[in-house]
Amino acid sequence: MASTPRAAEAPLASGARLKEVMGAHFAGVDRAARERSAPVAWCTSVGPVELLRALGYQVFFPENHGALLGATRMANEVMGRAHALGYSPDICSYLTSDIGSYLQGKTPLQRHGLSGAPRADLLLYSTNQCREVRDWFEFYGREWNVPVVGVTSFRDVGEVEPHHVDAIVRQLEGLVPTLESVAGRRLEGPRLEEAVALSRTSSDLWKSCLRAGAARPAALTFFDGTIHMGPAVVLRGTQEACDYYRLLEAELQARVRAGAGALPRERFRIYWDGMPVWGRLRDLGALFARLETSVVASTYCNSWVFDALDPRDPLRSMAQASLELFIARAEGPKHRYLESMVREFSVDGVLFHDSRTCPNNSNARFGLPQRLRRATGTPVLVIDGDLNDLRCFSDEQAHTNIEGFVEQLEGAGPRAPVSA
Amino acid sequence: MVVAGADVGTECVKAIVATGDGKVVGRAVVPTRGYFQDCFQEAMSNALGEAQAQVSDLRSLVVTGFGASCAAMATQTTTETLCHARGAFHHLQKPMTLVDIGGRDPRVVRVDERGAVLSVKSVRKCAVGIGTFLMFTSRHLDVHPTRLMDLATTAGKPARVGSYCSVFAEVEVIELLRSGATAGEIALGAMYSVADRIMEMDRLEGPVMISGGVCEYFPGVVKALGERSGCPVEIIPEPIMAGALGAALYALDSARGG
Repeated sequence: MASTPRAAEAPLASGARLKEVMGAHFAGVDRAARERSAPVAWCTSVGPVELLRALGYQVFFPENHGALLGATRMANEVMGRAHALGYSPDICSYLTSDIGSYLQGKTPLQRHGLSGAPRADLLLYSTNQCREVRDWFEFYGREWNVPVVGVTSFRDVGEVEPHHVDAIVRQLEGLVPTLESVAGRRLEGPRLEEAVALSRTSSDLWKSCLRAGAARPAALTFFDGTIHMGPAVVLRGTQEACDYYRLLEAELQARVRAGAGALPRERFRIYWDGMPVWGRLRDLGALFARLETSVVASTYCNSWVFDALDPRDPLRSMAQASLELFIARAEGPKHRYLESMVREFSVDGVLFHDSRTCPNNSNARFGLPQRLRRATGTPVLVIDGDLNDLRCFSDEQAHTNIEGFVEQLEGAGPRAPVSA
Repeated sequence: MVVAGADVGTECVKAIVATGDGKVVGRAVVPTRGYFQDCFQEAMSNALGEAQAQVSDLRSLVVTGFGASCAAMATQTTTETLCHARGAFHHLQKPMTLVDIGGRDPRVVRVDERGAVLSVKSVRKCAVGIGTFLMFTSRHLDVHPTRLMDLATTAGKPARVGSYCSVFAEVEVIELLRSGATAGEIALGAMYSVADRIMEMDRLEGPVMISGGVCEYFPGVVKALGERSGCPVEIIPEPIMAGALGAALYALDSARGG
């Protein structure tokens, strides 16, 4: 089959506002770091950012920087510097890209007017997603001689029990003195409640946006979602995130009401599990568009939906939310979650991206795809690749597998295309 | 008295015969094809012939390289790291970062002011065979390996050959051909790919010296390495012979009772 890409998805008008919002975020953190006008913290993408917001920190999220390095295909130009320093090519390629970028002084943030990632006064992690985030932050802690603090979380959690939550709450409480000391102010209950309320609101709005993928045809795809999730990650706990998602939600709801899809024609609907292949988003988006197949939902984009957050009980609900994350769960809850997504989004097939350097966000290594197939009857496909390290991704192999998978879906019976 | 050193590599077998005062009087390079034993015999025979000596004249024979264990007549075997470092230091007599790029597994060796090895970093398993990778690339571009460099010089910019898996990299070469990249761009891209793999192994700090067969046949790799590292990079004299020379010097030590 020829692999000439065709014009892909209809762009969302909110994209222009998204650029402004993200640009203002980067500029704000950079200004605070340069002018010392506010304390600057780095935080992991699903870390306890609400504590930082309540204490007036400007917050930078290096995983977002990692994704930018991947999406601009700069990652492979810089990660070798981290490998040479002893950070293995087998560990998280966000980490190796980001540290390589720092060592080489080369970053896509330069396109936003920054000379580099803003220097932190403090780094705050949670290992609810992986151990790498701690090692990553400790590199900078040594470089800049600043505190690195965080939560050592539970992994592979079956049911989230009260004792899990208690343990995380105690750790969150234990962080406060250091966070206060660096910020030079005391943590005030109402400000934390406000930050948690804003996080919950933006999370609900983002979840509502993602639901647009459940419409037929899907009004939002995974490829759009990976771009529009920026504020859900870097502005969690702020009014800006809520404002942005109100705008996006309105646009998506208008699309749904008009029966307009993200693709011109939709024959099949796919669920994407695992990390994006950042350097191939456009290519893969074009491939699926040519195959008239919408990638309607993903585990990844839903990772910034925190249903448990509750401003009436901020710390405990933050702990609960961090433990309920898909990535932190055992195979049983993951299976149940995927089954529910297959039903909710009416998908014809599930694609698992086995990301070489991100085992924690790759769910094809313990038989889950096969069990899901048996339980739901939904065809599954596993593709090999990586979030950032394109040396681990073969375009030809991935395209051939995806094309073959869609042919397999075609063989399962004729589908009436749904036109936008 | 004569001694000899041999480097039984995956692409070539190199042999050197030296006199007791360290003067090289015979050398040979034989492509590795078929059994290592036969190639080793051929190389030794050629080197001894040039030196007008016979096997029975050898006081010591030190052998290194992937196929060293196949050289039954060796009096001693030594690691490639030590032999390359010794051979390179013999020429330069100064501390250096030595990059040995052979057919199988490149390594970065730090050598101090006495010629001692301070550290060695080898390429990871998935990236082995990067010299051999250039041979594969030649095959896909339908040129003899010795012509790959000529081809590369016709390119204004390298095509991106990024995979660290030689098998995937070969597929990338085929994809690049399909997408219309010129053979020259792909040839140059393959050389940059080798340089990139080396850059990931260790920090390169000057002076950076190169040994091994790859730089002899594919000097584009050296240029790419200099560009990527920002360090001046030089090739040692007779780079393909560095391992065999080091082996011969160890043989000399042995013959002298060292």
